[in-house]
Amino acid sequence: MIASLLAIIGPLAALTLIVACRRTPAVFALGGALVVFGGAVGGLIDASAGGHASLAFAGMPDLPLRLQHDSLTAILSLTVATVALLVFVYAVGYMQAEPDKVRFFAEMSFFAAAMQGVVLAGDWILLLACWELIGLASYLLIGFWYERPLVPVAATRAFLTTRGADLGLYVAVFALVSTAGTSEVGQSVAANTGQFAIGMLLLLAAMGKSAQVPFHGWLQDAMLGPTPVSALLHSATLVAAGVILLIRSAPLFSAPMLTAVAAIGGLTILVTGVTALAQPDLKRMLAASTSSQLGFMLIGVGAGSPIAALVHLVAHAAMKAALFLGAGIFQHALDSTVFAELRGVGRAYPRVFILFALAGLALAGVPPLAGFWSKDPIEAATMESPLGAFLFPLALVGLLLTGAYVARALRLLWQGSAQRRPVPGMAWMLVGLAGVSLLATFLGPALVPTAQFVGGRLPTNVSSQLLGFGTAVLGLLAGWSGFTDRLAAPIASPAARGFRVGDGWIDVAVRPALALARAADRLDLSLYDTSVSAGRIGLGLATGPLARADALVERLVLAVGSDGLLLARASRRFDEVDLDGLIGQLVRATQLLGERVRRLQTGFVSRELLLAASGAAVILVLALAAR
Amino acid sequence: MSPLVLALLVGAGLFGIGLYGALSQTNLVMIMMGIELMLGGALVNLVAFWRYLHPDVYSGQVFVLVVMTAMAVEMAVGFAVGIARFRARGSVEMEEAVDLKG
Repeated sequence: MIASLLAIIGPLAALTLIVACRRTPAVFALGGALVVFGGAVGGLIDASAGGHASLAFAGMPDLPLRLQHDSLTAILSLTVATVALLVFVYAVGYMQAEPDKVRFFAEMSFFAAAMQGVVLAGDWILLLACWELIGLASYLLIGFWYERPLVPVAATRAFLTTRGADLGLYVAVFALVSTAGTSEVGQSVAANTGQFAIGMLLLLAAMGKSAQVPFHGWLQDAMLGPTPVSALLHSATLVAAGVILLIRSAPLFSAPMLTAVAAIGGLTILVTGVTALAQPDLKRMLAASTSSQLGFMLIGVGAGSPIAALVHLVAHAAMKAALFLGAGIFQHALDSTVFAELRGVGRAYPRVFILFALAGLALAGVPPLAGFWSKDPIEAATMESPLGAFLFPLALVGLLLTGAYVARALRLLWQGSAQRRPVPGMAWMLVGLAGVSLLATFLGPALVPTAQFVGGRLPTNVSSQLLGFGTAVLGLLAGWSGFTDRLAAPIASPAARGFRVGDGWIDVAVRPALALARAADRLDLSLYDTSVSAGRIGLGLATGPLARADALVERLVLAVGSDGLLLARASRRFDEVDLDGLIGQLVRATQLLGERVRRLQTGFVSRELLLAASGAAVILVLALAAR
Repeated sequence: MSPLVLALLVGAGLFGIGLYGALSQTNLVMIMMGIELMLGGALVNLVAFWRYLHPDVYSGQVFVLVVMTAMAVEMAVGFAVGIARFRARGSVEMEEAVDLKG
């Protein structure tokens, strides 16, 4: 437990020291990352000896802040810590020419602490707090180069999108805690098994954080941040938080909810996989691929095997971080991340290219690299699940797409020729890259014991293994030969924009609002029809024997009918007024009111005192009158 | 006329004088004196209520002491502002302080 505590305290101490000293930030940050790593290793050793603890701190009344320490959190903590350490080493080289290193390393250390908090949190309140903190860190780090064009927009978009989806987590946590009476994650999840609404809200939060369709757009924009940020936050750790949330709350999900999870994952695999196939930019392609791989994890959860998702999460952290770190070196070498300008960069930097290609092939699922070991359980799980008939082919298509876009990237980076020139900080960057890339290469055989250690069975299946391997090779061949480029040509331009939902919020926010307005309109129309028919019935009654008996009733009914008609027309007109117009009027009215009220603020003390005194007098008189 | 009513009249008188002073004066010091008088009137009321209605309970006195502390603190802040203003502009006339408006 002490070791796990170190994992949070280490980067916090580094952050404090960096902010306090404002010099040698890299040394402090690396020291902090080493402490995290040491803490995580210690935690794993402790957990493998059967250590299992929960540490409660005073929080809100009856809702203590709890840190949890067991095999699952130890594995996740070590994954985050390892990638963080290697990315920090890499960042020393990458940020060498950057004037504002203090801010960068302070924010990175802040993120490392918050992410450990997410992983180690044992109750919902702490998890929610750290969940928000990593979102804030993401916003700060995407916007690190805030003076560059488009960067503030990207940071704001990422923040608002994830923030919007986070509302799901808030409501879900409220429901979980209030029904279970405890904020402890395991107990409250167990007490709410099968609660459909809570499951969907958790899924919503996970979709936002893990950049699943339709929230996937922000992740590609987030690539405008520095590359170490992309490697640590937007591939390995932060975006995996959504999957971690689903893994931890997996006992809550019943069959229909799992179907929804798998459907979202499958949709994301397809949409972002095709996006990656057509992306003209290396980093954005990697971002799309991240969404796609997270979709694999969602399918794993949806197929009823969160352990398979966990294993792929661990392997993916190493593979994708390695790909990003390689991309960062290419970016420094040629000052670009666009494929067209990176042609032949692989030949100029063969060592970097080999490490990059190893991670890429691992991602595609070539044995014996890590991706093969981590994707096979997911395929086997989809085969075993009751939805296998849909999920297994979907997973195979995902594999095909993965192979194709990896091979396409390798081909574009290898063919052609580029000038080799010295890159400052290359040694640091190579060490970091080599670390994660070798992990991605050799991690595979360790994944099965990992699953056993967490206490789950990793599904295996020879036929899915063979099929998966064949599909991956097919995809690689198709991607290398350029066949998929020709195939993807007709959809290239929407795919390159990432199939973003209506350029921002149009489809997400405006369309539903319009649909709501239309529904209201329909409701009014039906009201109108009803009142017309009511009027007619009234008329029919009135012209009948009743009319002869009493002409007054006839007039009354007629008046009611026509008034109803008028009312229905008026309310229809009201709804047909443009939504924008209404909002605009509201804004203008508020502005006008503000200007009027401003005039009261003259700045003459005596006048304002007089106003205050007369206001008090009015209140006094009213209070006396009310007695 | 009972002593309580008499004391309340004194308090009301003090409050009225203070209010007039705060509203009619333009000098910061004078305004603050007016405010002090208003608070003094309120304190007289408090003490009177305590003395003639609930002399056995001491919370009334404690409340008065708290209000007096708050008055002292308020005066300290007010004079600090006044001195800063005087050093900057050489005057504490409130009609000239319109430039403080944001």
